[in-house]
Amino acid sequence: MTQKTTRRVFVRRSAAAAAGVFIIPNIIPASALGMGGKRPPSDRVIIGAIGTGSQGMSNLRDFLDLKDAVQFIAVCDVDSKHLAEAKETVDKANKNTDCRTYGDFREFLEKEKLDAVSIALPDHWHGIIYTEAVNKRLNVYGEKPICRTIKDGQTIVAAVKKNNIIWQTGSWQRSQAHFRRGAELVINGRIGKIKFIEVGLPDGGRGIGTPPVQEVPPEMNWEMWLGPAPEVPYRGVSHWNWRWMLDYSGGQLTDWAGHHIDIANWGAGLEHTGPVEVTGTGVYPMEGIYNVPVEYDFLCKYAGGIEMRVVNASRLEHGMGTTWYGDLGWVHTDRGNILTSSDPKILEEVIGENEIHLYKSENHWQNFVDSVRTGTQAIAPIEPAYRAISVGLLGEIAMETGQTIHWDPVNETIAGNERASRLLGRPYRKPWSLPTV
Amino acid sequence: MPSCRKAPQYKALIITGQSDHNWGVSSESLKQILDETDLFSSTIIATPSKGEDMSGFKPDFSKYDLVVLDYEGDAFSETTNASLIDYVNNGGGLVAYNSESNPGAVVSDSVKISERRSFEVRTAQIDHPVTKGLPVRWLHPDDVIVQGLKPAGEDTRVLATVSLDNSYFSTGRREPVLLARNFGKGRIFITMIGTPDDKENNALHCAGFIVTLQRGAEWAVTGNVTQEAPFDFPTAAGAVLRPGFKSITYEEVFDNLGNYDIEKSTKYFTYLQSQIRNAAGNEKTLLKLEKKMVGILKNEEASDDAKKLILRELSWMGTDYCIPAIKALASDPELSDDVEFALARLK
Repeated sequence: MTQKTTRRVFVRRSAAAAAGVFIIPNIIPASALGMGGKRPPSDRVIIGAIGTGSQGMSNLRDFLDLKDAVQFIAVCDVDSKHLAEAKETVDKANKNTDCRTYGDFREFLEKEKLDAVSIALPDHWHGIIYTEAVNKRLNVYGEKPICRTIKDGQTIVAAVKKNNIIWQTGSWQRSQAHFRRGAELVINGRIGKIKFIEVGLPDGGRGIGTPPVQEVPPEMNWEMWLGPAPEVPYRGVSHWNWRWMLDYSGGQLTDWAGHHIDIANWGAGLEHTGPVEVTGTGVYPMEGIYNVPVEYDFLCKYAGGIEMRVVNASRLEHGMGTTWYGDLGWVHTDRGNILTSSDPKILEEVIGENEIHLYKSENHWQNFVDSVRTGTQAIAPIEPAYRAISVGLLGEIAMETGQTIHWDPVNETIAGNERASRLLGRPYRKPWSLPTV
Repeated sequence: MPSCRKAPQYKALIITGQSDHNWGVSSESLKQILDETDLFSSTIIATPSKGEDMSGFKPDFSKYDLVVLDYEGDAFSETTNASLIDYVNNGGGLVAYNSESNPGAVVSDSVKISERRSFEVRTAQIDHPVTKGLPVRWLHPDDVIVQGLKPAGEDTRVLATVSLDNSYFSTGRREPVLLARNFGKGRIFITMIGTPDDKENNALHCAGFIVTLQRGAEWAVTGNVTQEAPFDFPTAAGAVLRPGFKSITYEEVFDNLGNYDIEKSTKYFTYLQSQIRNAAGNEKTLLKLEKKMVGILKNEEASDDAKKLILRELSWMGTDYCIPAIKALASDPELSDDVEFALARLK
């Protein structure tokens, strides 16, 4: 136990050191930097999970697949069935029955002594739980989109900066070679000066009408699931399908902003800024509880003259993914190892030694663990994640108000539009409030 | 709005009288749908019955701006056929409804008819006047689809298709259901959906069928579409029916919004939201809507569920005008959370 505590303190100190010039502290054991070789249990990153539904369990398994890199000791979920499934998986990996379970993240954060936490929750919970975890100085692997509103995002970013923790967003496309290659070609000018970016995200899906109100299943703590969102009766819709309801998500648009808009920004060098003007339209279902836009099409203008169109993929020739258009050609990249360009020669270009080499990671979860161990920034830090989802959220506001939104990406405010400015945040239902940083 | 109806600009002739489907139902529906736009005044004429002498059937097409064919049967006389072709060649508009042997616009190879069911329609041409601004994927209920149609030539554009493989990520063969053809100086719009079933006729009452027909008819006459994309066009999320072929009116929305409860249709509320979006920040329009919404907050007969929805909208688009009415609800335990939410955002 003593050894574990000491090591944990070290991890935090080195994270703090990373804020300035990064210095490898000489007390790092060689095994911590060497990747490979059997690691003694005491060297593993001690981790817990909040949210053990589909994405939470997927991340948990991805961490366990790293072998010996992490040790889960506690899990937390408002659904006791999900919780039991997570405990079973962790216990099996640990070959014991020690994994502790929590139904309330506050108790989890209070009692557990962790290096890191993996969080995968509906978006409406991100503002509170990300900020609380970061305020506890935990290193966080957090699912995208990192916030439901811009105000939530600003709070989370401030908390991460203040507490100097390692943050990894679940934007795992960054850790795939073809996405990085596409972005690297673009940022090094292989298509010339970037003029225009098209981001194709999935179309919205089928609705389910208005299902009858029903009894909350015994495994579900519905009040806690809703948390800061408005009180509504249970209709059998919670896990995964929360993403079709505006109280919890913005639909495919905000779900995928953290992937393809993130990649678009990475290649165009827009990771630390935002658009100055956003205008567009959405198509909203007429009937039923699924109320997110099923189609959307908006244009973002950046101060440097770049324009980015974000649109449901059926409206695009290239379909899903990111396409950068420069004055010398275009590059398109998407899942399924898709990397194409206007001229195949562009894809054969070699990036020279003195050119920009983007951060390289081959495994998104390993990258987080390595970053926590060494106190170095992970491949998907908080600000780019915030800037990616901001584009989606500003698009959402433009569609909802029917107006062109004038955004100040430095001060992060909307100019001259009180109504739109109100949509930057949402009051929380009692007793919840956005934590102070 | 009824008070400002102008005399319809265009005269339409609907030709029917022989068909595989119940042409009495379809032709009357087409008339109602076209006349609902206020652009058309339609007349229905029926041909002689199947097998009877067609030589006396000689409508004067030149008296009309639009001819609609709801007809599948014995060939017109050569004179009538030639005069119809002349009419389109000289700039007349033509709509061909739901016939696999429609006049020259598409040719069929080995056509088959699908079973009756719902389909997802996908727009193939998003920049055509008929489809521009409409959702690109929408559900269309209870129809039969002709399989195996092909566009007749290069002057024919496929505007929308369906796949018999109806899965969400379908990549199967796509059947054209809406087509547009330039012919001489005229234009032909072809719709292959909206087949009556002599039950509820959902396919005919589908807002997607109705609106594309209305827009297609206008395009056939003028080459442009002035009709705005309606708020109730169906989406990938679900089909939308228009009972009586009519869209919801502004008055109807505010007559019904106060009765909303969480088990009922959300359409009136969706309409309100679309009105707010369409106002695009126009203060006068928004204040008019705000006053209507405050009227519901003040109405003791209105439901709590309706007031909750109204409070959510006012929380971002309201002005000082709505604040007293919101505060007046603060003591209502059912609404106090929502009142607090609205006031916190409005401050």
